[in-house]
Amino acid sequence: MTDQLTYPDVVNFAVPVFIALILIELTWIVLKRRGGRYETYDALTSLVMGAGNVASSILLGFVAYGFFMALWAITPLDLGTSVWVVILCFVLDDLRYYWVHRFGHRIRWVWASHVNHHSSQHYNLTTALRQTWTGTFTFMMLVRAPLILLGFHPAMVLFCGGLNLIYQFWIHTEAITRLPRWFEAVMNTPSHHRVHHGRNARYLDANYAGVFIIWDKMFGTFVPEQDSEKVDYGLVRNLGTFNPIRVAFHEWVGIFRDVIQPGLTWRDRLNYCIQPPGWSHDGSRDTSETIKRKHLAKHPEDANTPGFENLT
Amino acid sequence: MPLSILLPMVVLGIAGIAVLLHLLGLSKPATFQDEAAARRAWLREFPEDTPTRVILSQDRHAALVETPQGPGVVWPMGADTTARYLDGAQIKQTETGLRITLPDYTAPRITLTLDPEEARHWPGLMEARR
Repeated sequence: MTDQLTYPDVVNFAVPVFIALILIELTWIVLKRRGGRYETYDALTSLVMGAGNVASSILLGFVAYGFFMALWAITPLDLGTSVWVVILCFVLDDLRYYWVHRFGHRIRWVWASHVNHHSSQHYNLTTALRQTWTGTFTFMMLVRAPLILLGFHPAMVLFCGGLNLIYQFWIHTEAITRLPRWFEAVMNTPSHHRVHHGRNARYLDANYAGVFIIWDKMFGTFVPEQDSEKVDYGLVRNLGTFNPIRVAFHEWVGIFRDVIQPGLTWRDRLNYCIQPPGWSHDGSRDTSETIKRKHLAKHPEDANTPGFENLT
Repeated sequence: MPLSILLPMVVLGIAGIAVLLHLLGLSKPATFQDEAAARRAWLREFPEDTPTRVILSQDRHAALVETPQGPGVVWPMGADTTARYLDGAQIKQTETGLRITLPDYTAPRITLTLDPEEARHWPGLMEARR
């Protein structure tokens, strides 16, 4: 069994490339006066969130890695390290990413970690770096367990996860409108991912893909970007602070305040953690479903159009 | 990558980009062209709570909004905006306007730059309808 296997730490090596591409995108936007927007405090917040993500990975990465190595010690399977195995691992890890990302929008406990990535009202390459500080606490490392148990070495799985993150960097831009049809059909693209960052009722809970958009098409969550409806970026209720600590922890604080409310049943308290964002015990808040239904009540002409299918 | 390289690169990269953006003039706060723009900004956050009155600040950077559910404010978040109701707000007059403290972890402090007349007048409007 391959115990000692190392791959380059691709995400850290990509940092200078990230900085260079941000400068190129900024230059393009300033010179052409189109293709996106930048604002100092927003970009600074995103970059600090990115740095904090790297720091939290250094500090807490041992938790996931230790878990994966424990699984590796007990699995009798070892698929080896051939190029084909790495490619298969990359594809399956992207399927893993799709589900983790979907859970990240549909389970409030996981959303509490992921929400900060959606907290910018801008959509540019710095937004890609606005990453979580609290991913370890979501326990979504469990979703990677089948890959390790199937015989993919933990170092390979993490390497593929790093490549996945690097791929997703460049799709956080408005500078690229649409790519060739064959590419848009298979791959996640700036257009598809803009939809994912939309707070428009139509675009909520759509396009969870990391690299391959086919997962959204397979699992019924694909919504194409509509030329008739510009994406409005940010959260349903936008933050009123750029403080990175508040950006990182605000939904965790929200969960805590909801859970300790007096007079709730234990089921209610649990539901504040595991139901979709916006769930409340008295129905006083809006989930993405209720937002979509309210939109359709005002705009019945949108029924059965992309993003509003299967809603009555 | 060794931390001795990664750390300076990240710090210098962040600082450099922030300084560059500022020098390019990209730190200006959002401005509302008119009351209708402030109303749209409010409705963007609270689509069901139609304002009955919108009072734009003299510098057009903020607006006091009255709704049947109570008063609120719309203010800039960089080049964009956000809005909040004033439930539980503590309002203090400052040399440059008002400082509003909210019991809201996502918007704990709102600093409004108002002219002296507005700074005297707005707290009354905010308090009267809460």
